Parts: sequence; C-alpha cells; structure tokens
Amino acid sequence: MIAVKSFSFRYAGGSRAALDGIDFTINDGEFVGIIGRSGSGKTTLTHAMSGMIPHYFRGDFYGSVEITPKNGVALDTVETLPDTISQFVGSVLQDTDAQMVTSMVWDELRYGLEGVGLSEDEINSRVTEALEDVGISELADREISSLSGGQRQKVAIAAILALRPQILILDEPTGELDPKSSRKVFELLRRLNEQGITVIVVEQKIMQLCEFCKRLIVLNEGRILLDGETKETLTHGDVLERVGVHVPRIVSLYNRLTEQGAKCGLPPCTLDEAEKMVREALS
Amino acid sequence: MKGLLTYIPGSTLLHRLDPRTKLFISLLLCVGVFASSNLIYLAAVLLLDLLIGRAGNVFRQTFSIFCKLLRVMLFLFVLQLLFIQRGDTVVPLLFGLRITNVGIKTALLVVMRLLAATLPLCILLMVTKLDDLANSLVVRYHIPYKYAFALTTAIRFVPEFSKEMQEVIEAQTTRGVELDTRNIFRKMALIIPLCVPLLISSVRKIDGTAMAAELRGFNRRSWKNMTSSFRFRARDIITLVLAAGVAVVGIIL
Repeated sequence: MIAVKSFSFRYAGGSRAALDGIDFTINDGEFVGIIGRSGSGKTTLTHAMSGMIPHYFRGDFYGSVEITPKNGVALDTVETLPDTISQFVGSVLQDTDAQMVTSMVWDELRYGLEGVGLSEDEINSRVTEALEDVGISELADREISSLSGGQRQKVAIAAILALRPQILILDEPTGELDPKSSRKVFELLRRLNEQGITVIVVEQKIMQLCEFCKRLIVLNEGRILLDGETKETLTHGDVLERVGVHVPRIVSLYNRLTEQGAKCGLPPCTLDEAEKMVREALS
Repeated sequence: MKGLLTYIPGSTLLHRLDPRTKLFISLLLCVGVFASSNLIYLAAVLLLDLLIGRAGNVFRQTFSIFCKLLRVMLFLFVLQLLFIQRGDTVVPLLFGLRITNVGIKTALLVVMRLLAATLPLCILLMVTKLDDLANSLVVRYHIPYKYAFALTTAIRFVPEFSKEMQEVIEAQTTRGVELDTRNIFRKMALIIPLCVPLLISSVRKIDGTAMAAELRGFNRRSWKNMTSSFRFRARDIITLVLAAGVAVVGIIL
C-alpha cells in the first residue's frame, strides 16, 4: 500500500513546487493510471513513491510518503533507504537507454538479484521466468547496445520483474513502442495485476490507460485535479480538455451524445463498448 | 571503433577462463613488454598477441584494431625520428635535421612496445564480459563495488559516447553546419563547440544510469551479499604460469 499525505516537493534550485499538496492512497492490488500534461509532476510523483525523493533528488519535502509491504509495517520514505524500498517497489524509469546498467541482457536481469544473497540457481530461474513473462526469451544472450528501443523497454521491464516487486511503478513504459507492442505491455501489466501486483502507470496514451486501468489520477501543475474510477473520471471531459489532457475520441463522442440528451450511462473505454453505446443511442 | 572493443560471445578457452586470469595475463604481458628493450622479444610478443586473438576467435577484430593502431603508431614513429637527433646519421634531411640510427631504434621500440601492450587489453575486453570482470574483482578481492562500477561504466560508455556524438553531428549537419568540410582546421573549429552538448547529454544519461542502479540495489552489492562461481581452475593456473614466463623472459632480456 502507498499512502501519500499532504505531500509537497520542490527540487533544490527549482522556482516552484513540482508537487503541491498531494493526497492519495493506493491499496494493494490496484491498477492505477497517472496522467497529465508534461511538466505536471507525473515523473516526480513516481520518484516520490520509489524513494528516490528525498534520497537521490534533494529539495524541500513536506508531508509524508509511506510504503506498506504486504504483511509488514509502514515504511516512511524519508527514514527508509531506497535499498529497502526497492525490495517491494519496482520502478521502471522513463529513459530506457539510461537505465541499462550492464552491457548484456542476461546480466541486466541478474543485476538486481545478485546483491540479495540468492543462490545461483534461484537467480537463473528468476531471470528465465522474467524473460518469459515479457516474451523476450530469445534476447537473453544479446548485447543491449544492439537492441531496438522497444526491445530495450521490454528488457527494462523484465529487469524489474525479476526482482518480484509487490508494487510496480512504470514511467511511460510504452513511449518507444508501436501500438501493437504497447498493447502487449499493457496486457502483461494486466496479467501481473491479476497475480496480485499493484501496478501504477504514468502514460501519455490515454486510450490505453482508460482501457486497462481501474483508477485514474489526473495531475495538473503539481496538484491532483481528478482522482477516481476511470470511467467516472472520464465524465469530466471538459475539465480534462481544459488542462490539456485529450480524452479518447470515443469518450468525446460520449460527451457529445450526453450533451444532446442521450442517456449513455458511463463512458466507453473500448471500441466494443463504444459500438454498443452508439447502437443504443440510435435505437 | 564501433563494435571493436565490445564483448563478442563465444566458448573458446579464452572465454571460459576466469576474468581475473585474463586481466592478469594482460598485465603480465604489459610488464614483460615494458621491461624489455629487445626488438625480437617485442616482435614475438606482438605475434603472440595476434595468436591469442586467434585463440579467442576474435582474430578479425584484433587485426582490425592492430591496423588502426598501426596508423597512429606510424605518426608516432615519424615524430620520434624527427625529435631524436643523437647518434650517427643514416639519412640527412633538410634544415639540418637527420634520421639517426638511435632514432630508428628508439622509435621502433616505442611503437612496438605500445602495440604489444595495447593489444592484450583490447582482446581482454572482447572475450570478457565487463560485468563478470567487475563482479569477480568485487567478490574475490573485495574491491568496493563503487569502483568496479565506475570502471565498467566508463568502458561501456565509450561506444555510447561516439553514438551520441554522431547524433549531435547529424543534427548539426541537417541545420546546415558544414561538418563535412575538407579543411581539417575548419572542421576542428566546428566540432569543438559540439563537445558541450555532448557532455551535457552524457552526464544526464549517466545520472539516469546511476538512479537505475540504485533502484536495483546498488548499495546492497558487496562481496558479503554476492554469490558467485568465480574460481581459479587448472586452465587458469597453467595460462597464468605461461604468461608469467613470458613476462620473466622480458625482464631478463
């Protein structure tokens, strides 16, 4: 569980607070999407949840961020080192190129496991499993510099999965992927979520977020603008447009229909739902 | 240099040796080469280097590095010839300069020494995974992981650097900067300002790498927590003794 209470953060040397008065709780097993214009504080929020703030990034820190592992006590990120937090919270960073710390795929996946004191067999079986989960077993012996952007992104996800985190935070995990591969990544996330892992995704591609996430948090200029169940959040189409978050076209269609007086219930998140909505509105 | 100093997978004896053995062999060869002033010995070690490259199945790459180095060395050779004016004249040149017998000998010595000492280190990088090298040093010799990481990252970033530079150059070329000019001085003047963006983007990248490492237990990595299978086997000891022999011969000659 992650509990963020009255949290504000201003980077050292920053002119304004990157995040201001953030309050929310993410329970175990949730699938949460975080969305907002660039500069709205999305990445800062992921750093706060992974403990990189305040241990890696310095600045003015107000409020508290607490991580509670399953069957454990709450850990305050100020008092707990990232080494401890990283045993529960896996964090995939935005820049896939930079987050490679070794030169071979196999070693990249081993990296986080080597310092934990696992046996060689255990390490190897976890690495194999993580590669299979992401569907890149064939890349095991490749050199990272020879991979495409999309492949690197999958390696980055696999490297975190090998650590078996309870909470998975991903910062634009499909930024370099084509629509088909990014859909696959989201399907993988859904599968992991069904296995009980809490998934938190920061994403620009709102369409995919809407389809997969159960809860949507909308950030704007360092504050939470909306936070609620995905479909419920999408009914605030006008608010979203005003802060520069473009809702999926099927949602704007829904908004137009409801404006004209059609009763459509909750907004659609998939094409099938949209088709059903239109059929019902027409009949 | 793209692809020349990076690991090339394989299963030869060289690949299977303990990373530390390979490091020591390279260092022993360096010691021998620097201790000796015997041209025949140097030539022999140079040949041995190429043979080692062959044994590691990286002969093509080794030879390619050899040729590249040779070009630099040729420049060095000429410089040495011109700067060393002691000894008897062999060929008189203009302006009172001359090529002397001492000059030729010293120049050859320096060039061959550098060649023979550089090649084993290049081969080391091609047949050893950097991470294995770093891990073995941490686990067996208790070198703080910080330093091992700094070393591997520095070597790993060489190709990244050149890639980044290529990108900056391409970006500038599309904006109309004449980087393809034939005039070498003009080219230098155009390239030097590009070092600033290169530096900034690289530092940013390294910062990201550092953060990623911390997120995956960078600080947990010490010899106390790391298990590993690095140990010296018979083949390691035999090759080490052979390399030590080569070094001793170098010291004696």
